[in-house]
Parts: sequence; structure tokens; C-alpha cells
Amino acid sequence: MSGFVTKHFGELPAQPEVEFEFPGGLPGFEARRRFVPLHFERSDPLIFLQSLEDPDLCFLTVPVLAVDARYRLGVEPEDLEAIGLPGDRQPRIGKEVLCLAVLSIYAEGATANLLAPLVVNLKTGKAVQAVRADSRYSHQHPMVSEETPVCS
Amino acid sequence: MLMMSRREGETILIGDSIEIVIAHIGRSRVRVGIRAPRETPVLAREVKLVREENLAAAAGHSAEAVSRLLAGIRSNPPASRR
Repeated sequence: MSGFVTKHFGELPAQPEVEFEFPGGLPGFEARRRFVPLHFERSDPLIFLQSLEDPDLCFLTVPVLAVDARYRLGVEPEDLEAIGLPGDRQPRIGKEVLCLAVLSIYAEGATANLLAPLVVNLKTGKAVQAVRADSRYSHQHPMVSEETPVCS
Repeated sequence: MLMMSRREGETILIGDSIEIVIAHIGRSRVRVGIRAPRETPVLAREVKLVREENLAAAAGHSAEAVSRLLAGIRSNPPASRR
């Protein structure tokens, strides 16, 4: 077997170097476990998350810190343990985990799901969509503010 | 909304086929056991929101929508946001 088929970029010739494994899938896509992150300079900071099991499934994601530079993780202990991390403290973004927000594009504009970021163990590639139990962040955080920017 | 006080180990019945047990009361969270018919979906509210959001997110994005989004992100980096 060589290469894999993607939703937006046709068939890519090589086997992916990096693969994320969601042992429990994602809510709504419980059977989809293997994803490849695709990053291109011209679409930075977007990361396309292509399913290896369904060529038609590709999430558009962005590092949470690119949405909210002060984002604080709130991953439940059982989610941390599911990706092989200690459950008694929050992991460090960029050091231990990659933390991506899934984007939705609506007619009114794009939104980022900050309620349930994708948290990936950087060492193993094990990943989970970590649904927060608090209501600190929205599942539809507007990507670009509707308000006119005010200079201070 | 109907409010009810229950102690650990006590049960609430909803109709004839749904049973809710207060299994454990911790410091900041409550563990609840739910017995419901197979066809009744039981899930945390936020998981339902995330499921719906994932379905919307997977619904597709045209190249044009993606470039518009990129332009938006680049003209409004997070450091300048509140």
C-alpha cells in the first residue's frame, strides 16, 4: 500500500509520518480513530485533520493558542489517562500535548470549538477530544469578532 | 423544573423504564447511575453539543471559505484580541 487519499488534496503519495490515534473516536465519529495532521505553509496556522479510514472526513483545526493566547486547559483526569498522561495535573501545551480547536464554517463566519479541544500526546500520538465539564469556553467561539476593532 | 433532594444511594424513577441512582456524592461532583431502555440515548449535555458541532465541522468547507477564514485569522492575530 502506498499513499493515502485525502478530501481536499487528492491522493498523497507517501505514508504519513505522523498519525494521531483517538482510541475512542470523536463524538459523532466514534468509529474514526486514525487521523493525519496536514499542515501547509500557505494555510498556516490551519491544520487539516484527515481521517485515514474515511477519505471524505477531514476536520479543519487550528492550535487553540492561535484562537485564544491565554487558553487554559481543563482536561478531565479520565481523558488524560486515556492518552497516557498523569491525571492529577494539566499537561503543558506545546511540551507534552498538542491542543487543537475544531473549526466550523457557518454562513455568519467561522467558529472554534473551545469547549472540546483535541488533545494529542506529543510523545505517543494518542489523542482525545477532551470535553470540558465547566462552562468556561464556548463550543462556538467566533473566530473573527463581529465588532469593529477599537484601538486603545 | 422539578427539583428533588436525594441522598447517596437513593433513586429517582422517570416513567416506568428509567431509573436514576445517586451512586456517590463527592466534594464537587456527583456520580449518577442511569438505567434506561437501549433506544433512549443517555449522554452529558456538553457531549451532545460537541457531537452536533463535530457533525457541522465535518460538513465541508469550500476552498473559498477556507481562504476567507485564513485572511480573517491573519488580519486579527490572537495577541490583539481581548
